[in-house]
Amino acid sequence: MTPDPSGLRARATVLRALRNWFADHGYLEVPTPVLVPSPAMEPTLFAVAAQGGFLRTSPEFALKRVLASGLPRIYEIGPCFRDREHGGWHGREFTMLEWYRAGASLPDLMDEVESLVNAAADALNRPRPGRWSRQTVRELFRDHTGVDLAHATAAEISPLDPEDWDGAFFRRWVSDVEPKIKTPTFIDEWPASQAALAEVRAWRRWPVACRFEAFVGGVELANAFLELGDPADQRARFEHSIDAMRRDGERPHPLDESLIDAVGRIPPTAGIAMGVDRLVAVLCGWSGIGPGRVD
Amino acid sequence: MYETSDIKNGLKVEMDGYPWTVVYFQFVKPGKGTAFTRTKFKNLMTGNVVERTLRTGERLTPADVAEDNMTYLYNDGEMYTFMNDETFDQVAIQATVLGDDKQWLLEQMKVRVLFYKSRPVNMELPTFIDIVVKYTEPATKGNTSQGALKTAEFESGATAMVPLFIETGDTIRIDTRTGEYCERMIKK
Repeated sequence: MTPDPSGLRARATVLRALRNWFADHGYLEVPTPVLVPSPAMEPTLFAVAAQGGFLRTSPEFALKRVLASGLPRIYEIGPCFRDREHGGWHGREFTMLEWYRAGASLPDLMDEVESLVNAAADALNRPRPGRWSRQTVRELFRDHTGVDLAHATAAEISPLDPEDWDGAFFRRWVSDVEPKIKTPTFIDEWPASQAALAEVRAWRRWPVACRFEAFVGGVELANAFLELGDPADQRARFEHSIDAMRRDGERPHPLDESLIDAVGRIPPTAGIAMGVDRLVAVLCGWSGIGPGRVD
Repeated sequence: MYETSDIKNGLKVEMDGYPWTVVYFQFVKPGKGTAFTRTKFKNLMTGNVVERTLRTGERLTPADVAEDNMTYLYNDGEMYTFMNDETFDQVAIQATVLGDDKQWLLEQMKVRVLFYKSRPVNMELPTFIDIVVKYTEPATKGNTSQGALKTAEFESGATAMVPLFIETGDTIRIDTRTGEYCERMIKK
C-alpha cells in the first residue's frame, strides 16, 4: 500500500501529544527489549518466533520488572507483534502504548484514558469522543442478549459452543454485544476466567476480574488491569495457560521466572495497554488503521 | 473445505442445503478472546442475507456452483430456453427460477446463469439493457412539469416509468437492478 502523507502526519501528531501528556503527568518513558525470551502466556495470543526467542506481544513483563525496581510511573510506546491477526483493525505488527501507575485504582486509569484521548484529539484538531459511560460486562450482555452471564451455561449463551463457556461468551460478544457499543464506554467486571494478569474478586457470587476495556467508536482501544501481585497465583495461571496451549496443539512458551519474581515485589498498581494505531484511526474517523501506517 | 482464512468476497459456500456467496467479512479478535470472522452470506437462490460469526479454525463447505455465459433464445409458457455460449448446449429454465427478472428478457440477450449441483438456480441480467418502447401515451401539449413520469410498455411485457418526452418507438436504457429508466438512447 502507498503510504498516506496526511495519515502519517496525524500519527506523528498523536505520538507527540501522548509523550507530552506523559511528561506533564510525571511518567518516565522506559524502552524495553522487543526481542524477548518469553512472550505473553495467553493461549489466544500467538507470538512471532525470532532466532532464540520471540518478538514481544506486549511490553508487560519487562515493564513489571521495571516497576518492581522502584519506578512508580512508567510508560512505553513501541512495536509489538501478534501472529495470525490481520484485518482492518488488526496488524501483525502494531504500536502499543502501555503505562503503569503504582497506587492507582481502575477509576483513576479511566480518568487518565479520558484525559489522554482528549489531549490527542485536541492535538489533531478533531472532536473529542464525547461523554464516557461505564458498564459492566454482565449489564451489557443482559441489555443486548437477555442472557444473565452469572447463571447461563455455555449452551444458553451460544448453542454452537456448548462445551466451551469462554468460547460461547466471545462468539455472542462478537455477534450481538460488541457491535452495539457505539459511544465511548469503559467496560468492566469481566468474567474471572478472562482475567489474564489482573486481580480477581473471587469472593463475589459471580467472580470477576479487576479489569476494564475502553471502547471508542465501537473499537476496543485499551485494556486495563489491577495488576496481580501474588507470585504463586501468577505461576498457577501460567501453568494453566501452558496446559491450554498444549490442548490446542500449540507449543507452550518457556515460563518467565524473572516476571514471577517481579510480581512478588511490585506495589499495588494499575496498568493499561492501548493500541496507538487504533487511537489515531478512531480520532481521525478512519474505517481501519491503514492510513496511519506504512504497510 | 475452506478455512476462515480463505474467506473473501465472492467465495461460494454451502450451508443448510443452500449455496451462498460471501458479501462482507471482517476479522475480529477481542483482546482476551479467540479470533473470529464476522461474515455476511447472500443466498444465491433466494437473495436472503444472513450474518454468521465464524471462529478461526471452523470450516466451510465449498458450494458446487458454476456460472455460465448464456444467450436467451425463447420461451414457451413455463420454460425459458437459453444456449450456453461455449458449448452451445440448450437449457430450459423454469419461470419461477428466473423470478421478476424474466420480464426484461429479450431474444439474443446475453445473461449469466448460476448452476447449483448442475441445476440452474439463478440468472443475472446485464446491469443495463437498451429496449424499445412498444407503447406510451403521447405527451400532452403544455404539460412541462419537471420530473413528471408516465408508464411505458415494452415488447418483453415489462413496464417502467419514463419522462414525458419519451415516445412510442424510442429506444431507452433501463437499469435492471431497479427496473428504472436511465436515459433515451435513440429517438424514433
